[in-house]
Amino acid sequence: MSMEAELIRSLIRRPATLLYPFKRRPLIEGLRGKHTWDSERCIGCGLCARDCPAFAIEMIGTGPTAELKVDLGECIFCGQCEEGCPREAIKLTEFYELADPKRKNLILEFKRESV
Amino acid sequence: MPSTIKIPFGPQHPALKEPESFLFEVDGEYVVDVVPRIGYAHRGIEKALESRTYIQNLYLIERICGICSHAHTTCYTQAVEEALKVDVPSRARYIRTIVAELERIHNHYLWLGLLAHEIGFDTLFMYTWRDREIVMDLLERISGNRVQYAMNIIGGVRRDITPEVSSEITKGIEVLSERMKYYKKVCSDEKTMLARTTNVGVLKAKDAVSLCAVGPTLRASSVKRDVRADDPYAAYDEIPFQVVTNDGCDLASRVATRCDEVVESVGIIQYALDHMPKGSIEVIVSRVIPSDEVVSRVEAPRGENLHYLRSNETDKPARYKIRAPTLANLSALCKMLIGGYIADIPAVIAGIDPCFCCMDRLTFIDVNSDKTWNWKCDELRRHAIKWHKEQ
Amino acid sequence: MAQGAITFLLQIVVFPGFLFLVLAALFYEWLDRKFVARFQNRFGPLHTGPMGLLQPFADLVKLLSKEDIVPLAADKLLFSATPIFLATFPLLALFCVPIVENTALIAFEGDLIFVIFLSTLIIVSMFIGAWSSTSRFSTVGGVRACLQMLSYEIPMTVVMTGPVIVAKSLSLSKIVQWQSSGFWFVTTQPLGFCILSICLLAALQRIPFDIPKAETELVAGWATEFSGKKLALLKLAEDFELVLAGAIMTSLYLGGPSGFWFMPPFAWFMAKLTLCILILSNLRALFARFRIDQLIRGLWQYLIPLALFQIILVQLIPW
Repeated sequence: MSMEAELIRSLIRRPATLLYPFKRRPLIEGLRGKHTWDSERCIGCGLCARDCPAFAIEMIGTGPTAELKVDLGECIFCGQCEEGCPREAIKLTEFYELADPKRKNLILEFKRESV
Repeated sequence: MPSTIKIPFGPQHPALKEPESFLFEVDGEYVVDVVPRIGYAHRGIEKALESRTYIQNLYLIERICGICSHAHTTCYTQAVEEALKVDVPSRARYIRTIVAELERIHNHYLWLGLLAHEIGFDTLFMYTWRDREIVMDLLERISGNRVQYAMNIIGGVRRDITPEVSSEITKGIEVLSERMKYYKKVCSDEKTMLARTTNVGVLKAKDAVSLCAVGPTLRASSVKRDVRADDPYAAYDEIPFQVVTNDGCDLASRVATRCDEVVESVGIIQYALDHMPKGSIEVIVSRVIPSDEVVSRVEAPRGENLHYLRSNETDKPARYKIRAPTLANLSALCKMLIGGYIADIPAVIAGIDPCFCCMDRLTFIDVNSDKTWNWKCDELRRHAIKWHKEQ
Repeated sequence: MAQGAITFLLQIVVFPGFLFLVLAALFYEWLDRKFVARFQNRFGPLHTGPMGLLQPFADLVKLLSKEDIVPLAADKLLFSATPIFLATFPLLALFCVPIVENTALIAFEGDLIFVIFLSTLIIVSMFIGAWSSTSRFSTVGGVRACLQMLSYEIPMTVVMTGPVIVAKSLSLSKIVQWQSSGFWFVTTQPLGFCILSICLLAALQRIPFDIPKAETELVAGWATEFSGKKLALLKLAEDFELVLAGAIMTSLYLGGPSGFWFMPPFAWFMAKLTLCILILSNLRALFARFRIDQLIRGLWQYLIPLALFQIILVQLIPW
């Protein structure tokens, strides 16, 4: 019987459940979500692809013309690419709603703008 | 005709969150004997570790266990740093401590809810899991993820704790401490809860030591043993704290021990936040680890984690061995179950906070004869070569 | 004559008979779920209909459309008959409870015994269902259900004689009529009311007495093997039992549909029924589950003597 007071209090309180798809909570700063890539900064060293524990990053070409392909279906959002990047070219944003019925829509292909 | 019957429990059972099989021999309502059969959730992690670089392993190690992910990576980074002979900056050690203690709070809240659910106390389950959200949000604020924190890197930690985050943590842990004190009061006052926990799953101190129990399971049997105090790592040598013990030796004392540990953890976090040294949070280390052999120990929320590393001057470990706390507690669990009621089996199993997936390593089982055996590494290799030749 | 027969038929089928009772059962399941959810700081059913009001109905329809699996080793006939028994008995018992006016649809001297008998038959059919499904979990659950019945039924029956002795009748309708002066038995026999609530909680197999279908020990206990339409009927039966429990509490101790002021008797009955179900929901959220041996010991050691004490009190002070 020791919880009765707490039960009565809960009746008046707002339920703690977050009605997720209808209401979203504020984004927490620093969340590890979808990638962005800054082509200006990338030098194509390939460290991100080499260190990726899920083998989700593919670097197409080498050096300053290299382009990046990230498979979000494989990605485990550990942030090693961001951590290892010497030029801070690849970054994880706070966008996390990535579900998609098709796997190929989950592949991010970052292209360099043709000079 | 024998008066006992054999009842299989698992691998699929509503009380088990992960697959594991126990064969109970029961006499009426009493358990006479129990034989665990492990190996249902073997994931080949140790082998996978040998084929990945040290940096990639960091994230694989983290995924051994969803709940004590930080404890495993702390253990791993400690082993690698020891082999590298680098000193981690003390601010990084403090941050590791803070995240480890938040993780302990998270784990104990989760465990209390699960135990309550096993004995049908769903309201307590809902309440503890609601309050667990606070600590999960704090961890997300610090590290960027609710479960896989990825805070540790070899040579330090990845993110710093800023003053704003620090004040948020202070606010959050205060609530958590108050709530846990309330739950402890509920657990020690509520008659139905006491009926299901007192004198259930008794493990005497002598048995607990001789069966190598670890963590809160051991400390609830009034044995004062805690890696944080006995062999301090991270910043535990600079932070004053009590090792919580309880002399009830039963499920109720395991509840009390864990509740008190949460309150103690809150104290540790507060002290660490107040006394955090300034400075850098990581040192740059080489990718190649010199040849060495290291054993590293960490007090995970569930008990002592033991990692063994053998390196061979490459960027991949030559051998890596992990002993998760559940494996150490398993023989003690069998001791607790014997002599108890069948109806208490789920609660007692939940009482050691099992994580069978962390624990499962390779064993060989002949399904037809139910024979089990072990192989050494080279025996396994010989068998593999033979098998491939035959294919 | 013919008009009377048609009216009676309508009463049986529509109001306050079958159709009304089905709707009431679904409504009170919703209320129970919602209330427990709010106790646990959750929302409960929310999206189906206004405030999730249609959720129990949606669950019922969903289960009706699911695949109906009968275990190979099961006794087909008994296995299929169990859900029908289980849904019929509480429904039949509810016909004996006065709802709209002070006389029930089926009222005769001794219908209280008939109701108690039907409530026992519910457990017997549970056991038959458990036994015929030949599953390990079901068998243990069925045996536990019987053991539990042997423990709660004696104090329940004993305590029910309290109002019977004072009203000098074994008919629910007569007991209600006796209380219609506004003199409810809950005021004179509060102990009896508490004991009856506890026993009904055990009869309904709800926490802390949900031992026969302890989720973490026995999956769903005696109901493990039922699926599809059979499970739908079982769920409906459970709701009927909930309403029956509330209705028995209302009739015996709260004066049934009798009331005063401006409200019609039917509204009084619904209000009291709601109150009883709220009490049962509150108790459900408050406790952990007992072990079967603790339940039997507790009920025999404490509840039966208390129930006898209540009867002695009634004999000494005759109201």
